[in-house]
Amino acid sequence: MAICVAIIGKDNSPKYFACSNPDDEINLQYKVLSSLDVIEEKLNTANKVTDFRELFLGTLYSLESHKIYGYVTNTKIKFIIVVDSTNTALRDNEIRSMFRKIHSIYADNICNPFHIPGEPITSKSFHDKATSIMFGTV
Amino acid sequence: MNGANEEESSAPGIQDRRPIITCAGEVELFSCIEDRLSVALPQEVCEWRRSLGRPARSVHISATFTPYNQAALPRINQWDLIRQPLFHIFWTECNDVDQYKTTIRDEIEVWLKELIAKDIPDWLIVVVENFDGKRANKLLPRTTVLDKIRTEFATKQGDRCISVLNPGREESRNADSWRGLVARIRHLLLTSYGRAVSKLEDYVRQQRERRNEPGWNFMGYFKLQEELAQVLEMLGLYDEALVQYDELDALFSQFVVNGQSGDATGSGWLSEFQRSLERWHALKLGPCALPTEPAPSLLELRAYLYSKQAHMLLLTNKVWEVASRCLPFLHACSRELLLLEISAPPGAVACWLFLASLEVLHTCNRHNQADQVEAYSLHTACLWAYASQKLRSLGDLCGLMPGRTPTSDQLHAVVYLSAGMGDCPGKPESPSPTDILKQALRSQTSFNKTYLELAELAMCTYKHIGRLRSARLVGREVASFYVLLGEVQKAAAFLTDALRTFEQDNWRDLAAQSQVELAECYRKAGDTRKYVRACAAIAAASEIDNLIRWSYFDEMQNSLLGLDRTLIVPFKNILRIESVRIVGGAASKSSATAIEVMQDSQVEIELIVESNFPREIVCAKAMIAVEADAKDAATAQKRGRRSSSVITGKDVRQQDALLQRLRIQRHLDYKENKQLSSASVVCRNAPLKRADSNVSPVYHSEFNDFLDTGKTPFVITPGMNVVRLSGRAERVGKFYLGQVAIHINLMELISVSLTPRLCYEVLREEPSVRLDKGEAALLSDIEQIMTLSVTIGSYAIETKGEKIKVLLKSSSGLSICGDVVNGGEFGNSLEITIEETRPYSTTVASIRVLAEVPSKDHQVTIICPWSSKSLPVTLSFAPPLKISWRLHTVKHRKYVQITVVGQCDRDLSIGDSSLTVSDNKVVPFHSSVGAQVLPNGMSVSFTYEILVRAQKESIPLKAEFRLRYAMGGSGHDDDDDDDEKGSVEECREYSYPFELSNYQTLYHIRAKVEPTKGSEFCRVGTVCHLHVSVSAAAHSFHGGSSLMYEVLAEPSVWAVCGRTAGVISFESDSDAETVVLDVMPLNSGFLPLPLVRLSKYIPADFGNTDYGKNELLHPRLEPFSAGQIYNGSKGEQVHVINTNSEPFSTGAPTLLT
Repeated sequence: MAICVAIIGKDNSPKYFACSNPDDEINLQYKVLSSLDVIEEKLNTANKVTDFRELFLGTLYSLESHKIYGYVTNTKIKFIIVVDSTNTALRDNEIRSMFRKIHSIYADNICNPFHIPGEPITSKSFHDKATSIMFGTV
Repeated sequence: MNGANEEESSAPGIQDRRPIITCAGEVELFSCIEDRLSVALPQEVCEWRRSLGRPARSVHISATFTPYNQAALPRINQWDLIRQPLFHIFWTECNDVDQYKTTIRDEIEVWLKELIAKDIPDWLIVVVENFDGKRANKLLPRTTVLDKIRTEFATKQGDRCISVLNPGREESRNADSWRGLVARIRHLLLTSYGRAVSKLEDYVRQQRERRNEPGWNFMGYFKLQEELAQVLEMLGLYDEALVQYDELDALFSQFVVNGQSGDATGSGWLSEFQRSLERWHALKLGPCALPTEPAPSLLELRAYLYSKQAHMLLLTNKVWEVASRCLPFLHACSRELLLLEISAPPGAVACWLFLASLEVLHTCNRHNQADQVEAYSLHTACLWAYASQKLRSLGDLCGLMPGRTPTSDQLHAVVYLSAGMGDCPGKPESPSPTDILKQALRSQTSFNKTYLELAELAMCTYKHIGRLRSARLVGREVASFYVLLGEVQKAAAFLTDALRTFEQDNWRDLAAQSQVELAECYRKAGDTRKYVRACAAIAAASEIDNLIRWSYFDEMQNSLLGLDRTLIVPFKNILRIESVRIVGGAASKSSATAIEVMQDSQVEIELIVESNFPREIVCAKAMIAVEADAKDAATAQKRGRRSSSVITGKDVRQQDALLQRLRIQRHLDYKENKQLSSASVVCRNAPLKRADSNVSPVYHSEFNDFLDTGKTPFVITPGMNVVRLSGRAERVGKFYLGQVAIHINLMELISVSLTPRLCYEVLREEPSVRLDKGEAALLSDIEQIMTLSVTIGSYAIETKGEKIKVLLKSSSGLSICGDVVNGGEFGNSLEITIEETRPYSTTVASIRVLAEVPSKDHQVTIICPWSSKSLPVTLSFAPPLKISWRLHTVKHRKYVQITVVGQCDRDLSIGDSSLTVSDNKVVPFHSSVGAQVLPNGMSVSFTYEILVRAQKESIPLKAEFRLRYAMGGSGHDDDDDDDEKGSVEECREYSYPFELSNYQTLYHIRAKVEPTKGSEFCRVGTVCHLHVSVSAAAHSFHGGSSLMYEVLAEPSVWAVCGRTAGVISFESDSDAETVVLDVMPLNSGFLPLPLVRLSKYIPADFGNTDYGKNELLHPRLEPFSAGQIYNGSKGEQVHVINTNSEPFSTGAPTLLT
């Protein structure tokens, strides 16, 4: 299971943030924020070369305790998953499929006519789905 | 060649992986060329072809030489050939065939047998030749020793025998043969070495397959594969050597992971690594050896592996990769320590990690090249940060953090840690990482210094590579350190930077968190102003717990009392303008964008503000800045104004690009030949452009002009509040609403300038004067009434106690009078007093005007006291009647016809017409009728005969026609009571003077068309005669006068044959002159006669003395005036019949008069 799932908007502001341990949220936010540096770097340097269909950015950076993975949609919405670095069960492929699931529920959510693009996501059903992806129960 | 080799060989414990070559035969001969050979071998590359389809590589090979020893030969099928003698050379100097046959041959035979017995195919026989001068001149011997050897030992492998000129002698031709020898040895050596390597590879592979078998030991395998790596390294294939080390690395990691997950079959050796940690000597890059006794700890093994990898990377010039691999390596180490549950004294691992990262950083710095700074800074930045974190955790552990004193236990810990680090003294100018750490742990000051230095480096490097957010996070840590140090100002600086970044990215939680930290800093620093500011921000932050918000809100209010001067705080999240509305005012007529407000009236603004304060707060006042529109309208237009008096929250907020309608346009590309090349759609308004960061500083504009709430304090409650602001519009012009400011004690909360700009226009209406006529056009000679209306504008006029007087002046011929009722005197000027002077009041005055008859255009000049300019009003008067006259003539009798046309809108009644012509008698044709009604546009004619005496000269006659007229019809107008007073006006006399001149009849004309002789009728297309006879009137005969006649025939009716004009002279006789002209009718029927025109003919030589020369050359014509010629046959017609048909009427041509 992952310990945090975050969705960052085009303007780098957080749109959704969920983590397994709410007490740790602020610390994780700092980590996720700093990973935006790496995402920006990757987007700026790799834009010309890489395949546009590949949205998964791989490990953004790893800390002693955590590993941070990134995924960027074509509209520059960033998905970030933080994994405990002792967790060896989650390999790139598992992370990739988690991102795909998040992408799909995100797309479903913004299709909602009552959702204002660019606003933080507050939908409860989205939260339920996202946490179940995070805990790996889907 | 590879200097590393020498280094390695010199370093203890490093295996020499050079292939061993044995020498047999004349060993003393070899000993003199051994040195040259071992130097020459690695000097050039040699291509190494390998099995398994791997690409051929160019390698350098060197060798070690040993004397041949049969016992040392490797056994058959031995795998570790690398460490055994690989290649065997037999040296001989024998040039004499006989000597060869006796001794050398046997020696070779024995040597070769031994080799073959061991199944060794790698050998070479070298025959060294010594040339001397004598032999060179001789014929070559039939068979040389070399040939002999070749035939006897190497019939199939000719390359196994080679001769070489003694290289001991410095001769140029020796060089070629020497080079040949070296190349041969290189090639053969590599072949055999390659075989040995592939054997080793096979063995390694075989061993790896057995890794899960019990009894397999990683360390044994490690040494085996490392040997392979060393071989590759020796050959200069560093990248492949790195692969070997990487494989080892990965294998080990996998073992650890598997071991942790319980899948530990056959890895009993792993438990050897689970011993508790006793040494944490610094990682050392560069030549090093794996400690063997006692067995290496996990950290030592890892460090050794990493240093080997780093060594390979440095040899391939990938400094940045050393740095990039470092952090994952350190993470892996610390994770493996956990996984394997290796117990270590507290801080030991942190020490080791710190030392390792610092060592890598130092190494990178040493090897860094200018062009790689960018690439490697990318990785060193996190390393610096990591090192600083580790140091901090050590400082925490050892009680070295500021504000704490180390306990004795902690001092012991320091000693213990230092001991475990071992000794690794660096040079004084570049201390080793161990030195640095020991120094840092020695005292608090040195710890502080080292920590801040590292953190600073981390921040700088992060900023350098553009990772601002990461730099800010390090900054936060530094800030917390500074707080501990008590240097809150420095801490505040770092926190402010962090806060700005968080706000830029709109991470509210983090911003709020930083704000709280910042507030604490300011509180400690005693900076009330900034403290208030931070408190306000916290109090309004919805992300924070309510209790905290309340306490900071109270703090803010308390601290506000301590302020000595105004504190300006931007709205930001504290207050939000929901909407702004200009109350009242009319929509502007001139432009739809502004609200119009009259000068001196109240402008009222309704402001809806959302407060995020957790409680009610009393505000002293609220103001909104008003900016006069100084710029021209065009630029204001660009800024986007609202076309209404309201801006709502939607407008105030930044437009969301996502919600904008995309303006998609068609886009067609044409080729040069106008053919369509491509069709596409283009979005012009580029919505994906990033909006400017919304944290642009808020400038405090000058509240020179403003609208405010007045003096009374009011309360802003959490949530929506309606605030009414008002002010008097004093100045005229266009005004924009600017910033909003709300005062709470001495705190002034200001908003950003409102965009889109809301504007209102203050107008002033000037007093106006109008002079209006009635419905109908103005007529001269009739008294009419006009109205003067004076409207006071939007402001009262300064009168200085006097009454306002409007002066009217009329041009001459027009008289005006102000008194309508009593009919006062007419005059040329008039003064009207305005009683009502309130704004917007209108005074209407009627004035009478009267224009004299012949005059038409008049002007009334209005002079107002409030304007320096006078106002001219042009009035146009038309006469009520229009009269024209005409002179008619019958022979010598004269008649005047006078036509009167009514021009007045209303009917006129006319009567009492009379004509007087000098002293001549006038006979009216009409009986004297009474009054007649003359409606507009109708005409009435009067005809009079003037009895003139026939005279030689016609004296001009002065005539005057008089008519009496009155407004309104005689009878039927009486019913219309609402008609003006003109209906009962008295009759006026209208006189029309004119002059008659040249009225006497001078000539009579008669014309007649007759058929030619013999014809009865005039026929179409046949020539007829036009008889024109001109006779002078008896009384007016002028002797010797000449006349010009012209026949003006209608060309479609008459064709004039021959001449059409001629001159007739009247001599003394006054008889009629007759001219006959030929004319031809072109149509049948009754045709009007051709017209004959007479003119005075003045010959060319007439009056030659009086006129200019030009006029003498040409005769002139002068027309007669009407009345001088009487045409007796005017209006006559002639009957023309068709050529061949019978005439319709048989009668003579009828003359119709």
